[in-house]
Amino acid sequence: MHDLLANLALGFSTALTLPNLGLAFIGCLVGTLIGVLPGIGPIATITMLLPITFNFDPVGALIMLAGIYYGAQYGGSTTAILVNIPGEVTAIVTTLDGHQMARQGRAGVALGIAAIGSFFAGCVSTLVIAALARPLVKLAQLFGPAEYFALMVMGLAFAVVLASGSVPKALAMILFGLLLSAVGTDLETGVERLTFGIPALTSGIDFAVLAMGVIGFSEVLKNLEAPEQRSAAKQPIGRLLPGREDLERSAGPILRGTLLGTVLGILPGNGAVLAPYASYTLEKKLAKDPRRFGKGAIEGVAGPESANNAGAQSSFIPLLTLGIPPNAVMALMVGAMTIHGIVPGPLVMTKNANLFWGMIASMWIGNLMLLVINLPLVGMWVKLLDVPYRLMYPAILVFSCIGIYSVNNSPSDVVLTGVFALIGYALLKLGFETAPLLLGFVLGRLMEENLRRALLISRGRLATFVERPVSAGLLVVALIVLVAAVLPAVRRGRAEVFTE
Amino acid sequence: MSERAEVPENHAAGRSAIQASQNLIAGLALIAIAAIALGASADLGEGRFYAVGPGLLPRAVATLIGLIGLALTAGSLIRKGDALGRWGLRGPLFLFLSVAAFALSIRTVGLALAGPVAVLVSGAASPETRPKELIVFALVVTALSICLFRYLLHLPIPILIIPNVLVL
Repeated sequence: MHDLLANLALGFSTALTLPNLGLAFIGCLVGTLIGVLPGIGPIATITMLLPITFNFDPVGALIMLAGIYYGAQYGGSTTAILVNIPGEVTAIVTTLDGHQMARQGRAGVALGIAAIGSFFAGCVSTLVIAALARPLVKLAQLFGPAEYFALMVMGLAFAVVLASGSVPKALAMILFGLLLSAVGTDLETGVERLTFGIPALTSGIDFAVLAMGVIGFSEVLKNLEAPEQRSAAKQPIGRLLPGREDLERSAGPILRGTLLGTVLGILPGNGAVLAPYASYTLEKKLAKDPRRFGKGAIEGVAGPESANNAGAQSSFIPLLTLGIPPNAVMALMVGAMTIHGIVPGPLVMTKNANLFWGMIASMWIGNLMLLVINLPLVGMWVKLLDVPYRLMYPAILVFSCIGIYSVNNSPSDVVLTGVFALIGYALLKLGFETAPLLLGFVLGRLMEENLRRALLISRGRLATFVERPVSAGLLVVALIVLVAAVLPAVRRGRAEVFTE
Repeated sequence: MSERAEVPENHAAGRSAIQASQNLIAGLALIAIAAIALGASADLGEGRFYAVGPGLLPRAVATLIGLIGLALTAGSLIRKGDALGRWGLRGPLFLFLSVAAFALSIRTVGLALAGPVAVLVSGAASPETRPKELIVFALVVTALSICLFRYLLHLPIPILIIPNVLVL
């Protein structure tokens, strides 16, 4: 306990310096901005800003990037409530009851409870990260290559189950990601693999290139096809502070949402995305009168909003303690850390203590800032939606091109991004999801490395993965999860969660 | 040019033998990916388990992808599913051209020209584009990004290059 306080004190003393406060503020502001704008997400933004962080010190750089990530979660829900456009995937659930509340003239209360719930969730999950960090790091130090490999297999198994579409298609995308990660020069033997003699591919595919193409640009293509839909009638926002009755109704959902989000966010397979859905389903099941849901029930805003923020925060845990990025944004954080010569993993906490605790403290500060940025400035954020998409997408394209070019100062990276945009578009049309693809890509290299190392240590005995208890346990969990996913009962449950 | 490429659609309306054209194409695409990867990694050594070679993982993964592809293809012939939707041609084509134009010009003439070119070409991707508005917008965006990326953030992006005369 004393340790925890001392560490948090170190964190706050790092995060509260003027430059770091400024960077956290910029991060939250930019995050809210892109959260509000549909069609540009944290992945594209962080990719664009990655080269800029060369000039910052590592703590400040990561504080800013983290701010963008959770700022986007806040911004996404603002537009979900006011104009029924979820700025981010995680805000889709919020449109159900949040926008209904807005139609009843209670937009302010919906925004208020979303902010309060998110802030509460942010505080709790910050504490959870701080408390769990040390035990998890201790655990991670016991991990050998076999355990790491098994852990990543488990993460990928979760990713398959958490994907919303068909299980075989999600599995195929993960494998495709693994395949793409193998492109380039083999680290151990120096042999070129799957490069087709193209020089640009010899050093492998850059994560930023793949992510920007497959997610960022193909999102633009998707939006170009969909006719613009904007709810023209804007209701007055009304008072922001929820009344006593609203607070009483929301307290339970906020608590449960926070818990759900924190737990799901820790899963190394992007559980955070599922958190708001799970929370909504739970609240609906618990409600005395479930018919109120979908018609402006405040519980349907409070729960999912807390869950998504808690999940966003706790998804830092696998990255900071184990060095395993649970989703695409965290994979970009790995990139940002490596730029500054920091190897993500259990050593970060001891070797870069001020970075580790500084980031955690900045999350709490960032949440406070978001409260301030969001509520009074709501009107301004909504005005941004008046920018027509026909102007927004060329700007997104140019900024993205500049960003991609700057990562390695390489024009061929830009072309490659264009190629991946076409691939991403085709995958979308064929009903494949691209999130599992990215996760497979991210974990691919780490997995292969650990697999080879584990086999080397065991002198080529595959049985090593089941003989070591921890690794066997993790693999069993992965198997159970996968088998469960194809069982009819669970499948129906999944469909229910994702269609609501 | 035509605005959308028509792809034959299979509404599972009775007579058609194919129940799920989306999954059929998806399955075939996976088989193609697997075949390409297997072909490209054919000459890589697999090694032994105690010294895994560079070819083991790509080939194992490609094989699994191929198997899923086969399963999807087979399933699409038996079970009902989604039909293959419409594929836009205009959007993907001009987006790619815009990105490629940027890549070709950024190092040769610099951002001052690459920016507007990319904006203008990408404008052709949407039917809603208004030409005059876009030209003004292209200049504004370029000026803005020059200020932001080059002068505020000090990224080493060439602004304007005239061979033998000027490099900015």
